[in-house]
Amino acid sequence: MRSTSFLIILSVTVVQAIAAAEAPRPLGVGPEFAKFYKGLETFTCISAPSIHLPIARLNDDFCDCPDGSDEPGTSACAHLSPLSPAFLGSTPADDLDTTSALPGFYCKNKGHQPSYVPFTVVNDGVCDYESCCDGSDEWAKVGGVKCEDRCKEIGKEWKKQDEQRQKSLSNAAKRRKEIVADAEKLRKEVADRIQSLQTEIQGGEMKVKALESDLAETERRERSKVVKSPKGLSKMGLLAQLAKDRIEELRESLVEVRRQRDTGKARMVELEGILSTFKEEYNPNFNDEGVKRAVRSWEDYAAREKSPIGDDAHDRDLDEIAKPEGETGAINWSEWEEPEESDVDVLYKFEAYLPAPVRDWLDQKLRDLRVILVENGILAATHSSDGESKELQDARNALKAAQDSLNDNNRQLTTHQEDLEKDYGIDDVFRALKGQCVSRDSGEYIYELCWLDKTKQKSKKGGSQTIMGNFVSIDKIMVDDEVPPDGKGLGSGERVALKYENGQHCWNGPNRSTLVVLACAEKDEVWKITEEEKCVYRMEVGTPAVCGVSDRKEERPKDEL
Amino acid sequence: MFPVPKWGSLLHFLLAFCLFRSAFTVKHEGFKTCDQSGFCKRNRAYADHVATLGDSWTSPYTLSPKTLKIDNGYITATLLKSLGNDVQSVELPVKITFLQSGAARITVDERKRRQGEIELRHGSQARKERYDEASKWAIVGGEKLDRSAKADTSSKETVVNYGPNDRYRAVINHSPFSIDFFRDDQLHVKLNGKGLMNMEQWRPKVEKPDIKEGEEPKEGEQAVERGEDESTWWEETFGGNTDSKPKGPESVGLDITFPGYEHVFGIPGHASSLSLKQTRGGSDAYEQPYRLYNSDVFEYEMDSPMTLYGAIPFMQAHRKDSTVGIFWLNAAETWIDIVKRKVSSNPLSLGIGGKTDTETHWFSESGLMDVFVFLGPTPKDVISQYGELTGYTQLPQQFAIAYHQCRWNYVTDEDVRDVDKKMDRARIPYDVIWLDIEYTDGKKYFTWDAHTFPDPLGMGKQLESHDRKLVVIIDPHIKNEGNYPVVEALKSKSLGVKNKDNNLYEGWCWPGSSHWVDCFNPAALEWWKSLFTYSSFTGTAANTFVWNDMNEPSVFNGPETTMPKDNIHHGNWEHRDVHNINGMTFVNATYHALLARDPPASRRRPFVLTRSYYSGSQRLGAMWTGDNQAEWSHLAASIPMLLTQNIAGFPFAGADVGGFFGNPSKELLTRWYQAGAFYPFFRGHAHIDTRRREPYLAGEPYTSIVTQALRLRYQLLPAWYTAFHAASVSGVPVLQPHYYAHPSDEAAFAIEDQFYLGSTGLLVKPVVTEGAETVSIYLPPGETYYDYFTYSTHVGSGSTITVPAPLDTIPLFMRAGHVFPRKDRPRRSSGLMRWDPYTLVIALGGNGEAEGDLYVDDGESYDYEDGAYIHRHFSFSSSTLRSSDLSADTDVSKPSKKRKAYLAAMAAVRVEKIVIVGAPMAWKGRSEVSVEEEGTKQTRTAEMKWHEGEGGAANWAVVRDPGVEIGKGWTIEM
Repeated sequence: MRSTSFLIILSVTVVQAIAAAEAPRPLGVGPEFAKFYKGLETFTCISAPSIHLPIARLNDDFCDCPDGSDEPGTSACAHLSPLSPAFLGSTPADDLDTTSALPGFYCKNKGHQPSYVPFTVVNDGVCDYESCCDGSDEWAKVGGVKCEDRCKEIGKEWKKQDEQRQKSLSNAAKRRKEIVADAEKLRKEVADRIQSLQTEIQGGEMKVKALESDLAETERRERSKVVKSPKGLSKMGLLAQLAKDRIEELRESLVEVRRQRDTGKARMVELEGILSTFKEEYNPNFNDEGVKRAVRSWEDYAAREKSPIGDDAHDRDLDEIAKPEGETGAINWSEWEEPEESDVDVLYKFEAYLPAPVRDWLDQKLRDLRVILVENGILAATHSSDGESKELQDARNALKAAQDSLNDNNRQLTTHQEDLEKDYGIDDVFRALKGQCVSRDSGEYIYELCWLDKTKQKSKKGGSQTIMGNFVSIDKIMVDDEVPPDGKGLGSGERVALKYENGQHCWNGPNRSTLVVLACAEKDEVWKITEEEKCVYRMEVGTPAVCGVSDRKEERPKDEL
Repeated sequence: MFPVPKWGSLLHFLLAFCLFRSAFTVKHEGFKTCDQSGFCKRNRAYADHVATLGDSWTSPYTLSPKTLKIDNGYITATLLKSLGNDVQSVELPVKITFLQSGAARITVDERKRRQGEIELRHGSQARKERYDEASKWAIVGGEKLDRSAKADTSSKETVVNYGPNDRYRAVINHSPFSIDFFRDDQLHVKLNGKGLMNMEQWRPKVEKPDIKEGEEPKEGEQAVERGEDESTWWEETFGGNTDSKPKGPESVGLDITFPGYEHVFGIPGHASSLSLKQTRGGSDAYEQPYRLYNSDVFEYEMDSPMTLYGAIPFMQAHRKDSTVGIFWLNAAETWIDIVKRKVSSNPLSLGIGGKTDTETHWFSESGLMDVFVFLGPTPKDVISQYGELTGYTQLPQQFAIAYHQCRWNYVTDEDVRDVDKKMDRARIPYDVIWLDIEYTDGKKYFTWDAHTFPDPLGMGKQLESHDRKLVVIIDPHIKNEGNYPVVEALKSKSLGVKNKDNNLYEGWCWPGSSHWVDCFNPAALEWWKSLFTYSSFTGTAANTFVWNDMNEPSVFNGPETTMPKDNIHHGNWEHRDVHNINGMTFVNATYHALLARDPPASRRRPFVLTRSYYSGSQRLGAMWTGDNQAEWSHLAASIPMLLTQNIAGFPFAGADVGGFFGNPSKELLTRWYQAGAFYPFFRGHAHIDTRRREPYLAGEPYTSIVTQALRLRYQLLPAWYTAFHAASVSGVPVLQPHYYAHPSDEAAFAIEDQFYLGSTGLLVKPVVTEGAETVSIYLPPGETYYDYFTYSTHVGSGSTITVPAPLDTIPLFMRAGHVFPRKDRPRRSSGLMRWDPYTLVIALGGNGEAEGDLYVDDGESYDYEDGAYIHRHFSFSSSTLRSSDLSADTDVSKPSKKRKAYLAAMAAVRVEKIVIVGAPMAWKGRSEVSVEEEGTKQTRTAEMKWHEGEGGAANWAVVRDPGVEIGKGWTIEM
């Protein structure tokens, strides 16, 4: 009897409630799932329609449905997840789908935005205001916890911040437009420059051609001119004597310097040997700061490109140079100290016996012959710089200058053409930022990001700057992070990422590299730097450059969810 | 001019590097072999000498009957060590004590040293006595005398009957001195049976006249030569360090034989097998004795008797249905030789009836000879008796047995917050995040690096919001640097360890030049407390706990990476005498400092992790096996190492999950988490040079599998906590090796790669090999097991069976006859599971009976001492599950306020589900059970569903929401 009357009262209450509020949803049910919870006497598991439960089993803190849909308001089905150990009986029916049908516990959050929180946080004694500002996740008040509704203040604060965010977003969008405009200007400049370069190059090519023939003619003329060197024999001999002494002196000091160098080199090799054994064999576990610092600077030292002191060719040259004079290949000083007749002199002498017209004719012929012989490489040209005329030097210099300028222009053209081809991101936006740097003081270091150039790290405790990577490419990555209230976070979805690789070598590790992940912000700002693994860094950076980029991407149909 | 000074300093620099090289690159070379340790060499030589003499050897020790005094529960006498005909014998006072627990204790001292009738060399300030304070640190109870022990003495021997029902008998032979221990008239332990006893008496150094080369020694001098090698008596040099040995040779040695015992276990820590190996060569035997000399061993090697970070000189011998034990209470460097000798009971029946005796030989460098003998007969009895003396394991806080996330190092407070958030986002439970040395300002403990940890309190608060904790490292070396108040106080109060010249000792460790706090000094303990107050160590809060590392102590530039033995501690004891206890005194100081942070009324249980330990350290916190490597062999070795810890009275033990040095493959990391989920102390840790490896980074399928393992640990936390409680009151191991759980199953005593979780009947066989798809598991004869996940049934036959074990599977079985508790709802931390309902799992055997326990309290305070706990016994028989109270009678009859309040709060916690695996066929068709709860007259019903097992799986049934309170008595009839 008693139980019957109780039932009647209960049903009356239920009916009244329905009449009053038009099918109130059970605790934890979001509006999109309301349609499954209309039954008054039974509940049908959402993804297992063969299972009907008495309505009393809805939210009774025991998991009956294999998809957990009978417990939208409790944690009883929180274990339905591929992350839980799966054993027989862990789900109510093993032949059925065991993933949860619901996204979580629905917090209405009146005064703010509604949200789903994971079932694992329902009634665990902690008010999860961040996601459930109305405190409804702790409705059972376990252990006496009371979570008052804070949606009003949280909502207000959020709105304030949201306005700020919107404002800053629109500022950011504006700023991006400016950057893009800058980038366009820069691009235009490059294109213009390419055009003018092309014109310049054409002109340059013509000029080089002209100067080449000019030089050839001058040379031809020069070669035919046989100049009798003045016979300042005593002066020459003096000079030779001086030169000989001086060279001997230089040779001796070269030999001495070389000896010192070799000793130094041997010492260095020995020291490097000691240090590299030390590095190999010291105990990294005994993280003695002094030792570690020594090892690190040794690493940096060893990683640096070495000057080519060990160049064999250069050494052979030095060997030659260091030989005492008079030996093979060296200068024969006596030749210079005593006057000797040259082939030219003999020619002159021979001519002297001939009649003047014959002599002129012969002279001309001999000159021609000589030019032919020289041109065909049979005779050596009389090339001593002091013997070269100013005219010839000028011609040569003019050609070289023209060639250099042409080469330079060609180089510039290639650079600019490549630059124009290069990926500067959507709208060419990073063209405007390239080379600009943003830095951040973080812990013990100051980090610096230079757009499309380098990432760097500098210890506040002193020491030199470390290159954490050189820019390689622009990429896209997926992120899934929470955005803090100040908006300085990556959020979820596809983000632009800049890859910086091949930075300074890391002790006991790889070459440093940095992944710079970008999200929209009003101004350039490095938000966070983490060392994901040894010497692999990640920078999270806000910049207007990527504002609207991911939104635009999201317009295409989504393939997940 | 040649720049002499500069070159000089460079030379100095290079020399320093060379020194570092020799100290750091070596593993073996950095640590002594027996031959390099003078007293080890001497005692082994003594043993060899005795062996060559055979039966003609007579031990020179005799008990002088006229000095014998028999009192209630103990005997005193003087042992005389004969030094030859015309020399006065050495007087060695001996005390033999019989304790109520059934343990016997033999303590031997040396009169001359005790009475100070000796001279120390080099004007040493050290004490003259043999060190007698090891018991002060190690022993906390069980010292009540067995006043009913009865002694009979004759000139030849003294016989003492003692122990429960006089089951035990000690026969003390007077000449030569030896003791035989009997249980139920059977010989189990012999002391000095082989005559290896050796107490090196004090002697003055006799300066011998120099014998010049080429000169013939004179006639008389040859006679003086007594075959004794003095080379290690007065000075020993190792690795460039010279030990001045002011007290000369002073070692103690004794042989202890276990007749008829083939297996001995214990004496951690070594990276060795559970069943200890022989140490004097031969196949599958070591060449070196097991060594106990707490050391920071860099990249320790597998399968080795080499010493590690801690020392517990407690050994058990086991044979079918009998266990006995030995506790060698000595804090100095100790070595143990083990030889197993096949003996034939009847020389004619070759092989038949043959048995094995295990002969052990113990020797320590200094101190008293102090030996406890336990006569069993079960492993549980022996461990419990040992625990009564040295204390049972601390009942840890709930969080301490959950998952710990550690790395050297989380580099900033933001980094910590980020990992915390990421664990939540990945829905991975964890309780504790750890900070290694880099959080400090220049390795100055009790400071924070202001650049990287500007807001430690804010960080701590974020952790607290999900009931999580922070553990920070505090090591015993105190940086020797100006403007560091801690070192200034250490100096001004003179609380540091001193060198042999009695000046403050200075050595090298993480911070560079450092001093070491001397926690043997009571004043240092008081001072240490003052450093931990919330106002002194700012940035810490109630959820900050402590990790004590490097407390062997590790000294980078010291001999064997530790302190010189002639250093001086409080009370003028030499470091030599106290070395193995040193680490424990440091943890002891930290433990009490943590206790003192809060007012007495709101005290919470401290949590301290230590690397170095000794007998008794189990009272103070957890240990881990030190710096292991990310290799499969190290994962495999962790199981026997932890089992050894468990049977040696220190069950709160773990190994770094993932391996400290190196980068584990994802498979190895995953397997390591699956194994780690069954380590009593469960912490992921990594070296600073390794890649990050927090579980959410692994990627799929690894992250999901690792999360499942973690959630499995959390699900079973009620069972773990119950097991820890049992360990804390009676020494029951948390991980139980096969010989412990099945002491009669002779064939399987050496099994070391599978174990039970407490008394739950849960049998685990972690996968420790690469690419495994199956594992073999040994099942003892006649026992029924159910797969934890599939309920497939296996009946043991005393051999191994092969079960599938692909990467996502942990081989885990339920032994029939057991009931264990679970909490099935995944939460962010163990603290947030407090109010969740229980699931009870019953694994039914053929007889339809099962039982098990649950212990639960608030998991953090000492209120349980005032009765604020729930302790239930579940028994299932005649188709009825019964919950009965195991609470102490006084708590039930006179409940305290705290108990009442606790039980009232816990009334909200119910049993939501009962799973019966192996449910009888007879239940088929039944859909209801009747529930009776104490305090209610009415019988209720609850729904039950019976399921038929498929494909070799057992039938099973689920009782739906019986609605009974966990803290109440009730019966459920199926």
